[in-house]
Amino acid sequence: MSYKPNEAAWMAYLYGEMESEERERMELYLTANANARLELENMKALQQMLRTVEDKEVIAPPIVVDNNKTRSLWDFPYAKTIVSIAASLLLIMVVGRLTDTSISSDDTGIHISFGSKVITPPVDNTPMLTQTEVQDMINASLHQNNDTWQQNLTENRLKIDESIRKNLAANNRNSERVDALVQQVASASNDQIAAYVASLQTENMRMMQDYMKLTTNEQKDYMENLLVDFSKYLQQQRNDDLRLLQTKITDVEQNNNLFKAETEQILTSLISNSGTSFQKSGIRN
Amino acid sequence: MAETLLDIAMMHSDSLLLRARQGDKNAQGKLVQLWYKRIYNFAFKFFQDHDMAMEVAQKTFISMCKNLEGLQDTSRFKSWLYTIAVNYCREELRKKKSNRSVPFEFVVNPEAENSPRWEGSSMRHENPERQFQQAELSEILQQALMTLSEEQREVVIMKEFEGLKFREIAEVLNISENTVKSRMYYGLDGLKKILEQRNITKDTVHYEL
Repeated sequence: MSYKPNEAAWMAYLYGEMESEERERMELYLTANANARLELENMKALQQMLRTVEDKEVIAPPIVVDNNKTRSLWDFPYAKTIVSIAASLLLIMVVGRLTDTSISSDDTGIHISFGSKVITPPVDNTPMLTQTEVQDMINASLHQNNDTWQQNLTENRLKIDESIRKNLAANNRNSERVDALVQQVASASNDQIAAYVASLQTENMRMMQDYMKLTTNEQKDYMENLLVDFSKYLQQQRNDDLRLLQTKITDVEQNNNLFKAETEQILTSLISNSGTSFQKSGIRN
Repeated sequence: MAETLLDIAMMHSDSLLLRARQGDKNAQGKLVQLWYKRIYNFAFKFFQDHDMAMEVAQKTFISMCKNLEGLQDTSRFKSWLYTIAVNYCREELRKKKSNRSVPFEFVVNPEAENSPRWEGSSMRHENPERQFQQAELSEILQQALMTLSEEQREVVIMKEFEGLKFREIAEVLNISENTVKSRMYYGLDGLKKILEQRNITKDTVHYEL
């Protein structure tokens, strides 16, 4: 069986809009094909599901339609455009009339003018001078110009030469003066340098002497202070030692006295004890 | 889907249409009353937004009243009306894409303040557990619809919820019938995949046939 339904056939069969002849072929195809039957069942199930979608209740609002059939010229298409263009042209014409606008064209181009047109007199184009006359005038002018240039050039050259000569003479005088100065400087320099060096040495020596003097005094003061401080320190140390020794000796003396007192006490007790025992033994005897 | 009195009236509204075409305001008003719920629900399922659905529905019926006179074949009224609605839906969608502001309903969670949706539904006298499951499934399905492309979504809504024939949808969208069927097929396939991802299949959902 070569029949295989396309999408359109499936839909036509599903919604019962298939011709009887094709429907028979479709049914045969479905009988022979289990997968096709399953697909049809799925489609029918989807249809059933779609039927659960309910319509929404709605109240129709009043529809008011203006049925005025008299259609004005304004309502026709393009009427507004045409009227706009006509109005614009009219406006341009009125403005042109009020401002006396005139547009003209000739060989030189288009001219737009406002107000009354000024008529310019035609220009006489006939040549007043011939070509040779003009050439002669140019040549004469050039010749005159060249002469003036030559004259100026000669004058300038003479002035420059004179100026150079003057400058050279002045320079010669200046160089002689400079040479004399240099010689004077050279001759005077040796003595001056020696004197300068000697003055520098003397000054340095004086400065060193002052410095040494100052430093020696300072060192002496410092040493004196140092020795005084050291002697004070030694004196203090000696006093402390003496005080310590005094204290120790006092302690030893005190200890000796105490020891002596204790010894005396012991001896006294011993003597007294021995006296008593002697008496006792005498009585016994 | 069981046919209501409203559906029957919609199907037999030829005389109403004729009178409305002739400019009868009363007939036009009745047509609006008959079709308003359908167009509103179509737009609501398309946007999942009450205000946008109201906007589209009102614009559609204003346009219908204005242009009904030009409708030659009254048998094509349904597809003609949906054509207007689809065009306004696309226009609103373009506006929504260009205007990136977040609607207030998304900022303030309506679920937290209002009672559950199933309370207002016709199922409220049934088993509460089943009512809740169906309301939840309905919510999931509507969310899944929003994940479909614009073209697939409008076809699925028109076919599955509005009950238009493939020929009528083709007429509304001005495309071939085969293209409509193909969009429908892939739309359903997309929905099936989304539901499978959330483990919702015919075996896990118990509904009464």
